[in-house]
Amino acid sequence: MVRTTTITWRGARFAFQAGLLAATAIATFALSRAATAIEPAMLAAGDSKAAPSMDELFKEAKAKLPEATKPMIVAGEKGGPGLAIKTRKALTVPLQGEQYIDNAVVIVKDGKIEAIGPARTTPIPAWYEVVDVGDQWIMPGMIDLHSHVGGTFDINEMVYLTNPGLRVSSSVIPHNDALKTTVASGVTTILFIPGSGVNVGGQGILFKIGLDHFEDALVRDPGSMKLAQAGNPESWTVGIGRSFMNWNTHAMFERGMLYAQLWENFEKGKGPRPERNFDLDIFRALLSKKTQISTHTQIYQVVMTTLTMVRKEFGIDVYIDHGEMAGYKLAGFAKELGVNAIIGPRVIEVPTRQFINWTGSNPEAILGIAAEYQKRGMTMIGFNTDAPVIPPEELFLQAGMAARYGFEYANLETVRGLTIVPAVTAGIANRVGSLEVGKDADIVVMTGDPADARSHVEKVLINGKHVYDTSKDRRRF
Amino acid sequence: MTNGARPRGVIERAFGFVIAASCLAPFAAASNPEWDALFSSPDSSARRTATIADLSKVTSGADAHRAAPPAGAKGSARVLAIRARKALGVGELGDTCIDDAIVIVRDGKIEAIGPARTTPIPAGAEVVDCGARWIAPGFVDLHCHIAAGSLGDINDTVYMTNPELHASSTVEPNNPSLRLAVAGGVTSVLFIPGSGSNMGGQGVLLKTGLDHYEEMVIRDPGSLKLAQAGNPERWAIGVGRSHMNWNTRNTFERGLAYAHAWQEFEKGAGPRPERNIQWDIFRPLLAKTTQVSTHTQRYQVVLATLTMVKVGFGLDVYIDHGEWFGSKLAAYAQSIGVKAIVGPREIDAPSGILDTDGHVLGIAASYQQNGHKSIGFNTDAPVVPEEELPLQAAVSVRYGFDDAHMDSLRGLTIVPAQTAGIAQRVGSLAAGKDADILVTGGDPVDPRSSVDIVFIEGRRVYDSSRETRRW
Repeated sequence: MVRTTTITWRGARFAFQAGLLAATAIATFALSRAATAIEPAMLAAGDSKAAPSMDELFKEAKAKLPEATKPMIVAGEKGGPGLAIKTRKALTVPLQGEQYIDNAVVIVKDGKIEAIGPARTTPIPAWYEVVDVGDQWIMPGMIDLHSHVGGTFDINEMVYLTNPGLRVSSSVIPHNDALKTTVASGVTTILFIPGSGVNVGGQGILFKIGLDHFEDALVRDPGSMKLAQAGNPESWTVGIGRSFMNWNTHAMFERGMLYAQLWENFEKGKGPRPERNFDLDIFRALLSKKTQISTHTQIYQVVMTTLTMVRKEFGIDVYIDHGEMAGYKLAGFAKELGVNAIIGPRVIEVPTRQFINWTGSNPEAILGIAAEYQKRGMTMIGFNTDAPVIPPEELFLQAGMAARYGFEYANLETVRGLTIVPAVTAGIANRVGSLEVGKDADIVVMTGDPADARSHVEKVLINGKHVYDTSKDRRRF
Repeated sequence: MTNGARPRGVIERAFGFVIAASCLAPFAAASNPEWDALFSSPDSSARRTATIADLSKVTSGADAHRAAPPAGAKGSARVLAIRARKALGVGELGDTCIDDAIVIVRDGKIEAIGPARTTPIPAGAEVVDCGARWIAPGFVDLHCHIAAGSLGDINDTVYMTNPELHASSTVEPNNPSLRLAVAGGVTSVLFIPGSGSNMGGQGVLLKTGLDHYEEMVIRDPGSLKLAQAGNPERWAIGVGRSHMNWNTRNTFERGLAYAHAWQEFEKGAGPRPERNIQWDIFRPLLAKTTQVSTHTQRYQVVLATLTMVKVGFGLDVYIDHGEWFGSKLAAYAQSIGVKAIVGPREIDAPSGILDTDGHVLGIAASYQQNGHKSIGFNTDAPVVPEEELPLQAAVSVRYGFDDAHMDSLRGLTIVPAQTAGIAQRVGSLAAGKDADILVTGGDPVDPRSSVDIVFIEGRRVYDSSRETRRW
């Protein structure tokens, strides 16, 4: 009985598989016929004009899609209807002027901020969708200028001691798992940079997190050239110290800037065409100030070199990044030269014998590094994480800890250090860093002050698009 | 550095020898009637208390060399008055606050607290004006392992239940971890054995920032430490939750039978039982002069805490190390008067161990939403550093704990104080309580606020303006 059943079952399966095979064969034949029919037509068209680009084909396909299958364009997004967000408090943090608006309305259209102001003086166009977040506050998306979690982790290549030609843009994964948590903490833009295993690790990239596609996410590439003067590159080989590293870095800058200058001369018609050198091409962008240098510069001496060599001698746009330890002693000089300070991952300086020989720093008490910069007159102070050294989602806590250790924030300096200060520092304040008309609608909805760990993020919009919403998504952080 | 440490060690050892010799002297003489009486007493805890009292007599002999106590401290004739922009955690239940407050401290206790306009400062008082800063009661952590010199001292796993071991035998006052704890605002801790066995031994309730053990002790035994699952499985191969539960129940049954026999004897209703120092802790447990603190995190073991320890044996117990889905029992715990102290984990995150269906859940919020009304926070230091106790409350608020009635601060102060049965001394700013007071830059639960000054029993044990800031 059992056996018969098995045989019957086998038979049935065989019949089914045979049928499937036949169906596949027929389908394949039909398709190949169709393809043969199409091919000559396409070839003929190719003769008369250039083949359509991928982009055009894509657009054409999209246009032919039935209405129902098109992705719905939501209010506030590019191409969508307008969106108005009403809030109890908007931390607008422009570079200058009033830092917040009570009972505010922000109006978003096409991914940009169309208007912002107090509710009583800011009319909402009748056809705009209105979202009232009630007692919750809004602020601009936060910006982290020192992150290593933008994609794969193969970003610390150390072929040479200086590698200005390397690009981390080749490692980006726009919406990776680490970034999903990060966006849930209110960070919307990062500078993803190579590691500090060598003096010049390569070129960083500025991009928005929370978006699925690289081309939507990109803010600037190259975002910066990463310079690390001391702290890790010593381990590149045996027998190198700070003097050699400085010489090597200096020599590379000299060659690079010379190369860039030759190209500039050629472009002005004042010289012969220089030979291309991929390795030094980044210096052309640096010379023309289209990009800048972000420095892993923490110890007094290397902050000094950042100021004297990079800023004064080479005239390159640079800022103190990874600001730590006794570098604050140069805050006055840095301010004078217009070099901003981004603090972290360490935000305090602790009395410890561990670092004396290395840094020369020997504080008598626990010092808040941001507070020390502030006391010496620096006003442009921001925060970074060096993620994953500090988890990328804990950027806000860097500002909270700075406050705990004496950083004055009566004028929202904590919030500014997470938003407008890094935006201005990276030269992207035309797009991000504050809630002002014309800027990208990167908006975080929170239950209170972002530097207060008791507050949490409820919603995040990037370019007017809801990329995180705890009322719909699971809470990630 | 090392050169400096050597002679100090020698002096300490010599001093320790003097104390030991002083303590042992009565044994040698064996003619002291007071000691004879003590040794003939069947009650070991009475004897231990007396030993501590005696020890304090020995050390108080050295008082002549100490500086006169500062104003407000125990033994000082002078009164201390503290003025602050805002006082939080005021009243018996720590549920009110006062703007522009004055606290009068006399002999280590709070004599009065009220608004400046109605609270006169006694003549001759030393006044500490905190300006714009706030004051709050010192924090209480009911799950702490860092009062010993070394962690290895407090996780003895000779048997699977060790009710006889005393954490108090390992205390090292003002050790580096305790110095940080004070700077983080933690003034009282329940120092308990580890969770390597089902019963690690007896904890002790201590003040943190004081130099001498006899000043530090609030209650010894502070608790019997029970750990039903999570670590004791490793004690031997083949041990699972059923065996651990059987073994623990067995210990409770035998210990409580022993305690009952003594109770009968003391009432004159039974013969004098044989002394067994392994079971002595069950006598104060039966008499409710101490309680059981539980490392109870999972649903099943929280259930055992409620059904077996509280309802079955009628002992005073609370949920400690509260985590994970224990919160599903919140309403039941509330209904039978079992308080919940939450930590070291403050959130349930999606992981391989727990099925949270992808959600991040605040544990304190879950207890609260399920109807629990007495929720406190612990660190399990060094699992979470002792000085980060207030951050446990802040994180809970971040993950949904309703703080509209100062429950985050209450969970750091009066709730654990009531839970441990020491609210008559600590947990809020109220007349008659110990003057354990924090001076902070703002709301003490807000991580942006710094702890600037800490008073314990009126004594300024930490002041970041006078010494190096520690935290």
